[in-house]
Amino acid sequence: MENVSTTKEKRDWKKTLQQNYSFLVVILMIIIFTILEPSFLNSRNVTNLLSDSAPLMIMAAGMTPVLIMGSIDLSLGSMCSAANVLMLQLMLKMQPSIENPYIIFLLAMLLTLLFGAFGGFILGAIQVKLKVPSFIASLAFMSVWDSVALLISQMPVKIPKAMKMTTNWYKIQLGPIGLPLIIAVGLTLIYHFVMTRTAFGRGIFAIGGNERAARIAGIRVDRYKITVFVLNGVCAALGAMFLLVKANSSAPTVGEAFTLMTISAVVAGGTSLVGGSGSLVKSIVGVFIISIIKNGMNMVGVNVYWQKVVYGIIVLLAVTISTDRTSRSRIVK
Amino acid sequence: MDEKKLLFSARDITKSFYGTQALKGVDLDVYEGEVVGLIGENGAGKSTLLKIIIGVQPQSSGEMTMHGKPFAPSDPMEANREGIGMVFQEQSLIVNLTVGQNLFFGHEKDFSHLGFINWNKMYEESQKVLDEVNCGNINPRKKVLDLNFATRQMVEIAKVVNVTKSGHDDQKCLILLDEPTSVLSEQEVQNLFTEIRKLTAKGHSVIFVSHRLDEVLEISDRVYVYKDGQNAGNMPIAEATEEKLYAAMVGRETTTEYYHLDEQGKAEDDVVLETRDLGLSGVFKHCGIKLHKGEILGIVGVVGSGKEDICSVICGDLKPTSGEIYVKGKKVSYSSPSQALDDGILMIPKERLVEGIVRGLSVAENIALSNAEKLSEHGVVSKGKINAQADEWIDKLRIKTTGRDAELISLSGGNQQKVVFARALASGAEIIILNHPTRGVDVGAKEEIYELIRNVVAEGKSVILLGDTLDECIGMSNRVIVMKDGLITGEFDADADNKPSQVSLVSLMM
Repeated sequence: MENVSTTKEKRDWKKTLQQNYSFLVVILMIIIFTILEPSFLNSRNVTNLLSDSAPLMIMAAGMTPVLIMGSIDLSLGSMCSAANVLMLQLMLKMQPSIENPYIIFLLAMLLTLLFGAFGGFILGAIQVKLKVPSFIASLAFMSVWDSVALLISQMPVKIPKAMKMTTNWYKIQLGPIGLPLIIAVGLTLIYHFVMTRTAFGRGIFAIGGNERAARIAGIRVDRYKITVFVLNGVCAALGAMFLLVKANSSAPTVGEAFTLMTISAVVAGGTSLVGGSGSLVKSIVGVFIISIIKNGMNMVGVNVYWQKVVYGIIVLLAVTISTDRTSRSRIVK
Repeated sequence: MDEKKLLFSARDITKSFYGTQALKGVDLDVYEGEVVGLIGENGAGKSTLLKIIIGVQPQSSGEMTMHGKPFAPSDPMEANREGIGMVFQEQSLIVNLTVGQNLFFGHEKDFSHLGFINWNKMYEESQKVLDEVNCGNINPRKKVLDLNFATRQMVEIAKVVNVTKSGHDDQKCLILLDEPTSVLSEQEVQNLFTEIRKLTAKGHSVIFVSHRLDEVLEISDRVYVYKDGQNAGNMPIAEATEEKLYAAMVGRETTTEYYHLDEQGKAEDDVVLETRDLGLSGVFKHCGIKLHKGEILGIVGVVGSGKEDICSVICGDLKPTSGEIYVKGKKVSYSSPSQALDDGILMIPKERLVEGIVRGLSVAENIALSNAEKLSEHGVVSKGKINAQADEWIDKLRIKTTGRDAELISLSGGNQQKVVFARALASGAEIIILNHPTRGVDVGAKEEIYELIRNVVAEGKSVILLGDTLDECIGMSNRVIVMKDGLITGEFDADADNKPSQVSLVSLMM
């Protein structure tokens, strides 16, 4: 009997670790980078790190329910690029006819978010109606949005001087924490509430756990799926707006790195790629893991091209640690 | 019989899956050069026994012998070496390979030289194999994709004969045929029988499983009947008649208490659901069903009769290709189960693990699956309401669980099924389709589920029941509809004191 209980304790201990390892990773990363580069923890870098993580967090918020639902979106970064250049071009187009730069900014943003919603709708509808797996459908759209971004503008374009003041909000600081991060965390928490406390959110978990059972039980599977992709598209576009404002200029390849980074962050946070489990709060932690690694690697002076190798390894590591290999469910996307 | 040599025998074979006993001790003897027919209702254990013989799964207890020696195959390859081959119900050919490639699948080494396969040699050998079973007209270079089902079946048999004979030409083989005629036309069936007779003339033996009694009577030398995983009869063909076989398959008659017959109420006159000339192309057609308020309507038929598909159409999972559905007099057309649920129709699906439950979610979440939207206020679902609902149903249905937060998969099969029931009852649906509600559930839990169904209709809800056994369907229902090959072939009133006999239903099913 004693033996049984110790193995059970061991298993519980292992389970606790599996569920909460992401916090440990954050602390571990901070310690490692501080040892390697003591200036890692100085206030300027911390402020930088925190504000840098805002766009990633917004995109991770959109992606988390997609993964919980058992789907994936590989076109996220490309959508972000397309939305990024689209918003700037819209601002330029509106400049002659509208006087108030703030109205221009808001209008352009609104239209860009609509574009994101539209893209997400198409992606979701294609999966639902044509029964194309999300992996393939989004792979196709990755190529489409990449091209759209380049068709809109091939070169990085700066926000005109006359409209610079519309980006000032991005630099507002409340102590070490910037307004962008506050917005990002706020939106993530709202989405978290939706996922945990509404019929829609619970339905998403059910779809990820067993789509067939969810359908038979009368859950509006098709509508829910499309909605999740619409919200994901909106988040990608919002992230694109953040990137535009942060850099003060648009770039047709700005989102490229974000697909993998976002998936890394969500998975590192502990959301399962199998679907059916996960949480947006965990994704917040995951985003910090990725941001710390990115920032830390820059501080230590790791070549940018090597950084992508690291993100790839993170995805594999996170999936390996968080996957319950005793269960028969396999990641099939 | 005595002068013939015993080829294969199975003694007292049992098999249990997760606590339910599929086989409770069956025997089977096969002599050289004979065709043994094996019949029984769905779930009687025929397929289970064949899978044990071919080595797909081991028996829980019991002995088998082949060629007089003890026989316990660990996989089909080993069974093949001993001279046993099986044509599976689901076709096992790889359709985008050629006939020859399929015949020698897994044996390509025999034709390779330095790693390169000599295709010509393989196709020559294939031709010989096909000639052996009299199918020389099949071109071994053709892709299986381009063959019709009957020809595929012959290729499949040729393959089995070939693997079982490989190495020892004089070895006597045992070929297992599981429902080989279900996809064949009349003429093709006759061709198949000719081939079977040729095989037996050479001293090989065949076990022939079929739902079609006339075929079994025509081809077999002896017939075994299984029922509920037990022997229910074994007779030489000279003594067998369709009536005798039916009677043996069906066995005991309904017991009153088991199905709570004293609680069986009368259905009201209001029609809550009606289908008119409903059809699903290639599956069923011209189906007119009326379901009354407070009624249990049983639908019986063998696998492939279309009974499952009718339910899928009614609950919105499949779209009909013809005909109309009326719910409480209103014409409806559903493109998803959620729309059907809006009209108060919900199905409890047959494959509980695949379609019924969400593994990762808790008992409480699974119960709330169908009515989360109804529970929510201004879009927000309170955890308290979900929990209160779970506690209520756990108590009402006596669900055995460590708590409402336990993961559903940790419950026993019967209790999982009760959770699925609780979900259906909580959903507020008034027309509940029960697709094998007692499948994989032990006897005690079965009776509780029967009582539950009685209570449901007593509240004025209506039920369509696809029973796990014929007995169950007759015992529970107010009325029974019989289906065969996609058509309704009969309808019986089943009042508590005047239940139709199983024999009369079975004769319309097959």
